[in-house]
Amino acid sequence: MRSKYRLGVDAGGTFTDFVLAEKTGDVRVFKSPSTPHDGTIAIKAGLAQISEALGESVESIIQQCDLCINGTTVALNALIEKKGAKVGLLCTAGHEDSIEIRLGHKEEGYRYDADFPPAHMIVPRHLRRPISGRVLVDGSEHTPLDEAAVREAVRYFKEEGVESVAISFVWAVRNPDHERRAREIVQEMMPGVFVCTGTEVDPQVREYTRTSTTVVNAYLSPVMRRYVERIDDYFRSLGVRHPVRYFQSNGGLSIGEAMQGRAVNAINSGPASAPQAGLYVAKPFDIDNVITVDMGGTSFDITLTKGGQTNLNKNIDFLRYRIGVPMIQVETLGAGGGSICQVDEYGMLQVGPESAGATPGPVCYGKGGTRPTVTDANLVLGYLNPDAVLGGTIRLDAEAALAAVRKHVAEPLGISVERAAYGISTIVNLNMVSGIRRVSIERGYDPRDFALVCAGGAGGMHITALAEEIGSNTVLVPKVASVFCAFGQIISDVRYNYMATEPMRLDGTANLDTLNMRFDDLEQRGTEHLQADGFAPEAISASRSAEMRYVGQIHECSVDIAGGVITPDRLATILADFHKRHEELYTYAEPHNPVELVNIETTLVGQVSKPPVRTLTPSGCTLSDALTETRPMLFDGEGHWVDTPVYAGERLDPGLLVEGPAVVEEPTTNIVVRPGWTLVLEPNNCYRITRNA
Amino acid sequence: MTATVDPITLAVVRGALETAQREMTLTLEKTGRSSVFNLAHDYSNALFDHFPEMILQGQDIPIHLGSLIPAMKCVAEYFGDDIQEGDVIYHNDPAYKGSHILDCCMYKPVFYQGELVFWSVCKGHLTDIGGPVPAGYNPDAKEIYAEGLRIPPVKLWERGKRREDVINLLLTNMRARRDQEGDINAQYGACRVGERNMIALLDKYGVDTVKACIAELKNAADQQMRSLVRSVPDGEYLGSALLEDAGHGFGEMEITAKVTVQGDNLHIEVQSPPQIPYFINSYEGNSMSGVYLGLMMFAQLPPPYNEGLYRCVTVDLGAKGTLCNAQEPAPHVNCTTTPMETLTDAVRMALEKAAPERVTASWGHASGINIAGIDPRSDEQYVTMVLASIISGAGATQVMDGWHACGPLSCFGALSSGDIELLEYAYPIIIHRYGLVQDSGGAGYHRGGSGTAWEVEPIGHEMTVIAFGEGRQIPTMGAAGAKNGLQDEKLGRLVVSGNGKEQVYRANTIVTINPGERVTNVNPGGGGYGDPFSRTIDAVLEDYRNGLVSLKGAELEYGVAIRPQDGSLDEAQTARLREQAHRHSA
Repeated sequence: MRSKYRLGVDAGGTFTDFVLAEKTGDVRVFKSPSTPHDGTIAIKAGLAQISEALGESVESIIQQCDLCINGTTVALNALIEKKGAKVGLLCTAGHEDSIEIRLGHKEEGYRYDADFPPAHMIVPRHLRRPISGRVLVDGSEHTPLDEAAVREAVRYFKEEGVESVAISFVWAVRNPDHERRAREIVQEMMPGVFVCTGTEVDPQVREYTRTSTTVVNAYLSPVMRRYVERIDDYFRSLGVRHPVRYFQSNGGLSIGEAMQGRAVNAINSGPASAPQAGLYVAKPFDIDNVITVDMGGTSFDITLTKGGQTNLNKNIDFLRYRIGVPMIQVETLGAGGGSICQVDEYGMLQVGPESAGATPGPVCYGKGGTRPTVTDANLVLGYLNPDAVLGGTIRLDAEAALAAVRKHVAEPLGISVERAAYGISTIVNLNMVSGIRRVSIERGYDPRDFALVCAGGAGGMHITALAEEIGSNTVLVPKVASVFCAFGQIISDVRYNYMATEPMRLDGTANLDTLNMRFDDLEQRGTEHLQADGFAPEAISASRSAEMRYVGQIHECSVDIAGGVITPDRLATILADFHKRHEELYTYAEPHNPVELVNIETTLVGQVSKPPVRTLTPSGCTLSDALTETRPMLFDGEGHWVDTPVYAGERLDPGLLVEGPAVVEEPTTNIVVRPGWTLVLEPNNCYRITRNA
Repeated sequence: MTATVDPITLAVVRGALETAQREMTLTLEKTGRSSVFNLAHDYSNALFDHFPEMILQGQDIPIHLGSLIPAMKCVAEYFGDDIQEGDVIYHNDPAYKGSHILDCCMYKPVFYQGELVFWSVCKGHLTDIGGPVPAGYNPDAKEIYAEGLRIPPVKLWERGKRREDVINLLLTNMRARRDQEGDINAQYGACRVGERNMIALLDKYGVDTVKACIAELKNAADQQMRSLVRSVPDGEYLGSALLEDAGHGFGEMEITAKVTVQGDNLHIEVQSPPQIPYFINSYEGNSMSGVYLGLMMFAQLPPPYNEGLYRCVTVDLGAKGTLCNAQEPAPHVNCTTTPMETLTDAVRMALEKAAPERVTASWGHASGINIAGIDPRSDEQYVTMVLASIISGAGATQVMDGWHACGPLSCFGALSSGDIELLEYAYPIIIHRYGLVQDSGGAGYHRGGSGTAWEVEPIGHEMTVIAFGEGRQIPTMGAAGAKNGLQDEKLGRLVVSGNGKEQVYRANTIVTINPGERVTNVNPGGGGYGDPFSRTIDAVLEDYRNGLVSLKGAELEYGVAIRPQDGSLDEAQTARLREQAHRHSA
């Protein structure tokens, strides 16, 4: 049977988004309410909608899909709601408290807050069982594994009803024998119970990070397994041709089998597909430096991709759990259309992170909200149509928005209501710019070298202002902005990261044979994995990176390196790249000082074909055909109202130039084109807004 | 507020200052060479204006930040009108208002269109500063001259030119030269990152606007502190705390703080005994840190933090030549923990008398070690302060148990102890234990956080272990009726074991150990809050189950009897114990 479709299902907290791409290039979008207790219910409901719209049976549609892709928040939700499995931890005697000590650190921002509570412990102390047995830094065995202690601990786990076991020993990353043996004993004594080890889940030097990651994985994997089994069964019953693919936090796909044992790899998968979507949208313009920004009702997610390579995070605190595995760096801020504006005890205007959410929502929704939000300010500024009817039911209340901005912001600050509204917009933009700095300047990148790709319902109103602030000259707003992440998932590749620890000084004594062998080994393992997934050799590619530092430093600096045999000449290039990267990041390099390698990493990618891009053709309309009205709007804090044309995006032909100031209205978002910018709808169904020369 | 400044620009400037400081800190963390910088975060960054007043205090180490205020002024005054674009000044000396000589501070003036507008400042603990004892903690020093290299304000860069001769002079005096050089470079990177950010801000808004905003930010902080002080009844309030004899033989000492509240002004008067020929004397800069930390613990104000906070506060550190207002030649290296933490307790407790609803228990004080030796893997000398060895328990509060492993008081959760594998990679050691200590948390309705034990053995070489601090004789103070039933379990100590022998030290000491021998450094838990005999039985059972409280501890400290065979509650005996206790207290 010929494949005709590709299906993406992104199960979010509130809605499950469906994207069906046809081979013709058409992309259809559907939504159904999420059903967290059983994800298949929402999927059935969504598929029923699709079936009705296409006049074709669900089975027939699924059987004609080349791939069905599922992004899920099931792991994330279990982590947030503390509803993972009951976990027992086997750890090296003397170090059973590392996940509770958390390096002795209290999070920044709460230094003098006496009531800030300690972090939640997934494994309480009595379920962290100390096991004698010690490996040293060089991988040698200092003390043999106390197998009797392992058995004793497992007996205790059984008594306590432990459902999942994590094993993480000190320096197992240099010699995993003890972990392997302990795992065998657990499997023998607790058959069927989920068990994972530190070296499997996060093979890098850093005992606390590795143990914490392993514990989180053990906590979530049984939950993920139940979910994946249910979804896989359901799709199999519909006659799906290939296993369902699941989206991971590293921005790639995985098959269900791999996902079941590595739930920690999926904890922030939701926004992790944004870079793929951004690159895809930017490709026709030969742009591969993109910053994606996704602004919804409560939050603002940012990612950065330079030269096609997306920033990754490792070793971060995620929901206060230390996580070592690579995840797409997603900077999430509490800045959305619903962010509440208030004047704080210092007499300063604050916007967010508190949000009015969906209920009561912004004041202008008339659903009981009394405190002004960013959306209310945008309404005062004229960016939103005061006569708009939201979702067919809610008429925006412009007067109420104005009154709220006046009462809660303008009067306390002693400024005009126009200035207050513009100030709200300025502050929320500032917060977002600060987030963009974290992914760019703090990673050594100049944001002026990037295009901004905008998604989410609220992003369009702020995007040109953000571009002005960070100095970017190009903004892209795809029409699929409202389901940007689901769209990103259907154009993503299968991606697995393989890491190994190989400490060595990179000087004349460096053992390049060992290094080459380790890389080859990682790549071979990855290739076998992908081939088993059904990828042909020509669809598999590998990319390498090395984490290096000056001898004595602790934090590594990751440098991409080319494939192939590493020779002494190639090593010199790698070192030069390291010095350069260090200088980009931290203003200086020390080329005369020795450098050491710590971890190596290979990313294996199984390329998935991309659905074709549909090309728009002009219908011969002129700009005035798309003009709906002219509204006064504010583009500065001085109160200069400007009569600004408003265009209906649905009637705008590709190629027509829209000079700022202007607003383009789409069903789910409004795009504000500030003075000095020009918008054009490109043939790939994406708005491009550029700064006038 | 007065509308002298556009409130929107004000908020923008505030955000830009915070971003600048955060990026400075990030630079230090990622590039620092010694474990004290890159693992432990024992450094702090701040921005000053041209006065120079602190305009942004980060949330780094509290011991550094208070002392930066007088030190910055002292350094600027020292060079007077000879501060040039491209200069970078370095300094550690307490006689010039530094904290202790290990904390070396870099000051980079930020010029804009020829005008000195800001200072970008970065202070960090170097692992060595020369002198007879590695890591600088010399309990035998009778004078500051016997402790290490004193650096009065000196230019490391002059008009943009790096003074190799001066830098070489400093580095030649230090052990583990490459680490120290790397850390100085990291500080330079941080100062430049701060400068870069401030110049971008000036480019955008202009000098006048930015200055006006900063004045307003300082005023806002001033107003915050004043309104807090106003809410406290006028009067005089006394707080005092005892400092143990950590090995000097002069006996216990009392530090008192008298706080006078009058309207929205606060005066803090410190009294302490005469300085002694032992390394626990605190010069002015360091004592100011102690006073300000006590004040901030009490005030619990939200950020932003700047010098405006202290405008309504006057401080008298007592007569010159006393423990908390030391002068040359007093030795001082231990001062950033001892006596600073006791001084902080005294100030906080005096303030709490004025507002009993703000009472919290004390945090564990630092009792820690430095280690040094020759690394057999490279034949290079290593030396470091082990920050993991000072992680004590936090005090309990009215609403919750204290955090485990979050102290010491002087660092207030800002440290990071460093991953044990990274430490074993960097130094030739085996860390046999880094864990919470049973029964160490102060007993109370809310339990104090547990302290930690750090146990180490050298590999293939002889290791010198240099102890410092206190908290090995006087337990951390509880609050609001908290009372310990156990004593020894609450204390820090140093245990040297090997060859079937074990020796316990409760004073500062230097020992050398060899492979096969181990040193365990234990530091105290935090104080408890409220009557322990009214702690919920479930909470005590849970602590017992988790090994945080022993059978004996449950019974003696909380009046909860547990059957050892199955961990179940003996209800009848528990009722008897608790009733007995209440009769006693009634």
